[in-house]
Amino acid sequence: MSTTTHPFSDELKARIKSFLTRYETKRSSILPILHAIQDEKDWISEDDVALLESEFDLSAVDVREVLTFYSMYRTSPPEPWRLEICNSISCWLMGSKKTLEAAERRIQEAKSRGEKLPFSCREVECLGLCGKGPVGFVNKERHENVTPERALQLMEEYSQKPLPAAAVRCAELQTGEGSASENPHSN
Amino acid sequence: MPLIKREYNGKSPEDFRLVLDFEGMENPQGIDAYKSKKGYEALTAVLKEKRKPDDLIQLVKDSGLRGRGGAGFPTGLKWGFVPKDAPEKYLLCNFDEGEPGTYKDRYITEISPHMLVEGMVISAYAFGAAKSYVYLRGEFYDEIGWTEKAIREAYDAGFLGENILGSGFTHHMDVYTGSGAYICGEETAMISSLEGKKGQPKLKPPFPAVAGYLGKPTVVNNVETLAVVPWIVRNGAEAYRAFGTEKSPGTKLFNLSGPVKNPGCFEVPLGYPLKRFIEEEGGGLLDGKKLKAVIPGGASAPVLTAEEVENITLDYECLQAAGSMLGSGAVIVIPEDVSMVDVLDNLMHFFKSESCGQCTPCREGTGWLGSMAHSLAAGHGQASDVERVAAIASQMAGKTICAFSDAAAGPAMSIVQKFPHEFQSRFG
Repeated sequence: MSTTTHPFSDELKARIKSFLTRYETKRSSILPILHAIQDEKDWISEDDVALLESEFDLSAVDVREVLTFYSMYRTSPPEPWRLEICNSISCWLMGSKKTLEAAERRIQEAKSRGEKLPFSCREVECLGLCGKGPVGFVNKERHENVTPERALQLMEEYSQKPLPAAAVRCAELQTGEGSASENPHSN
Repeated sequence: MPLIKREYNGKSPEDFRLVLDFEGMENPQGIDAYKSKKGYEALTAVLKEKRKPDDLIQLVKDSGLRGRGGAGFPTGLKWGFVPKDAPEKYLLCNFDEGEPGTYKDRYITEISPHMLVEGMVISAYAFGAAKSYVYLRGEFYDEIGWTEKAIREAYDAGFLGENILGSGFTHHMDVYTGSGAYICGEETAMISSLEGKKGQPKLKPPFPAVAGYLGKPTVVNNVETLAVVPWIVRNGAEAYRAFGTEKSPGTKLFNLSGPVKNPGCFEVPLGYPLKRFIEEEGGGLLDGKKLKAVIPGGASAPVLTAEEVENITLDYECLQAAGSMLGSGAVIVIPEDVSMVDVLDNLMHFFKSESCGQCTPCREGTGWLGSMAHSLAAGHGQASDVERVAAIASQMAGKTICAFSDAAAGPAMSIVQKFPHEFQSRFG
């Protein structure tokens, strides 16, 4: 049924509308709206950008400017759990490179066994908790003193959890997208 | 005289808690906890006594308070630049805290977000802004929640909104969230971002105080700067000047990071000895290691050698005279067993990643510095590469719209000049 479902839920549409009038100009609502879309479906597609223009009257050019400039927006479907480890100077001095290597190795080892872990791992710049480095996020949850051992432990802990709602929604839309793209006006 | 534990200028560390007064309290975040320690008394007095806005600007000028985000610009002077007759003015709180090593602003909101809210309302009253935004970096999920909650509580208690405490002064406050761009901590880039654009800095003049958000007069102040305003209003300029040095009055929050025993956020008077700060507040280095170098003011501050650290005091003038800067107050400790070649590689990677790409000397300069530092760290470099790092860095400062390019060039130059021997041993 997902082919006929609007890519944005009613709640998301309501949030978008509230952002449109919250600031002095409509354009200021672009950053928060993109956050809201990402919160619901984990990433922002070119179709979403088109929808923002056609249904909410936000210039696609303006939206793309924001989408491509800021590093927190994802423009392709991500893994359900994203491990982001700060490698800026303070965390690096506390061994963040080793943490990154350990997490990446775990993902690659699984891959070589033909197993796909629901994780991605990437290096990010300063996360603002420099006294407790290495600092990392798993999705929106911050973790302190993420040693290599702690990173592997976190991956273990998160793999036991139910997938985040946004990841589930992302997968649903992915499976429906093949037929939706054949007829973009199917709803 | 009784012996004061860890005495400094006849005072104990507890006497320096102007901003961190709420540290150690149980559940200090809520409005009741804040009010239990004189919270909102300054705002109430200002509005009930109908204090003249100009008197408040003068008070802050007299206190000598300087911007705590990094640039150290006198706060009262900035407020004074705002045209009096402009019909629409804005206050923008810079909570984009992204300078590597800095985590003080988030700490303020962890323990007393209301201190920021009260400081903002008083500041807005002083130069006549009816609307303010707290611009937080996107990764500060918890901090966004704390700030939003404090704003809601302040509305409910009548400290925000229409006709605050029956004074006729109206002020509204909202949060705005960035999305992962270090450059948005630069005030004009922050304004671009708040306008819903890519966060690229704008040419100054006009300065934001004259033409900022949507072309309207806008004051951009750091969290720590705004948070100390209620204390200054309650206690007066003289009391504030009793701390610190003549040119750098007051206390400041300093963050200590790197391999020290007790990293954290500390409030000390400006002028405090750096060496003492690392040894007493920080407890010294982990595993008894020796100090090699210190970055005194966040990743943008030129590096100091262990020898230079001996005579440094934490104030704007001393660090400037030493060729570095106080910056955001982020003291990053580098131990003896870390190679400065790798430090350069790490720092330049940061600046290469975060350059907004607008100005050629910065975009190309940080790109080249990043690549060359990486090549040197990988053992593929030669003597001419080190010279080239210095040559490129020397062409980056003072040639761009904002200070980012200088911020990348300064540390690069300081490392190749102060630690040349470390590069020689890594040549390919």
